[in-house]
Amino acid sequence: MKLSSVQSDAIQELGNIGAAHAATTLSQMLGSTVEMSVPAIKAIDISELGNYMGEESAAMVAFELQGEIPHGGYIIFYISKESAIRLTNTMLGLTDMNRPMNEMDESALLEVGNIMVSAFLDATAELLGFIMLPSPPALSLDMAHAAMSSLVAQMGEEVDEVLLFSTELVCEEHKIDSDIIMLPETQTLARIVELMENMMKGI
Amino acid sequence: MKIMTELTSPSGQTAMIGIGEYRVGSFPMMTIGLGSCIGLTLYDDTLKVGAMVHIMLPDSAGRKDRPGKYADTAIPLLLKELNALGCKNRSLVAKMAGGACMFEYFGTNLNIGERNAEKVRAVLKENNIKLAKEEVGGKVGRSVTFLPASNGKITIRRADGTAGEL
Repeated sequence: MKLSSVQSDAIQELGNIGAAHAATTLSQMLGSTVEMSVPAIKAIDISELGNYMGEESAAMVAFELQGEIPHGGYIIFYISKESAIRLTNTMLGLTDMNRPMNEMDESALLEVGNIMVSAFLDATAELLGFIMLPSPPALSLDMAHAAMSSLVAQMGEEVDEVLLFSTELVCEEHKIDSDIIMLPETQTLARIVELMENMMKGI
Repeated sequence: MKIMTELTSPSGQTAMIGIGEYRVGSFPMMTIGLGSCIGLTLYDDTLKVGAMVHIMLPDSAGRKDRPGKYADTAIPLLLKELNALGCKNRSLVAKMAGGACMFEYFGTNLNIGERNAEKVRAVLKENNIKLAKEEVGGKVGRSVTFLPASNGKITIRRADGTAGEL
């Protein structure tokens, strides 16, 4: 679906609110300030996904969007491998940057992803009255493109273009750079746009 | 979407093959970050010519617009292009990598990686193409480099930095 600039603005606003709540929870977990970027919306042809996500190692905690729309797309907590280890080190009180990731790290990442994505979706549900529930989380610690393309494949045969909607969350103190990425399926996107437009018209 | 058949890549560099894309020729080709997708190569050792495709799903369900995206349409298309360059089916050798399951929780519902690999094997068999080697499955991302001009050499690289020949 093609978005008008008004619709893009509406989605950006929704991202702002969701990400602000997620940023607050991250800030509480780290005991440090977290800055967020303006949400970016990109329509990406699947053949060009590699230009956005490549071979770099990253931790991705993915949730399927469920609720009113049963298979509504995905929401992902994305964090580069370097930032991921800084994040779990901060949480676990460790300092070694070159240690291999273990089950403790995986649990910590799943937990952080869970808390942040829940905060994001709670905020958007409150704003729109549209319930998107996260599925249990699944974690990939591998090439970013391998993980992302696997999610896109699960969105169906007819998907040739995806709308990737991301907000960057940065903690300067601990040098942690992460993103919350939403990959809405067409029906979810249409519903969000409709509700945001109604809200802005004051319906 | 870029789809081309030629014997040298325009830039002389490695051709990057995105999801649903394919290339045919003797220049270096590469697919990066295969998860549940399949990187399939067909190679003719007598002509030192090959083809590579980045397959995302097993079945096209009648869709015609992106033949490289689906296993059932990608393989006949590559054969047609290779036959046009003078390759005989009996001298073609196939190899594949990918078909992983990157997210265990979602994987229990529908393992696309495994279905992709099964479909590729079936369609190759239907067309009497020999599948010489494969490295599929697991929970691991793979990047694949294919060098038709160097005896069809294939290298697989993984996120943990390990690499190997297929």
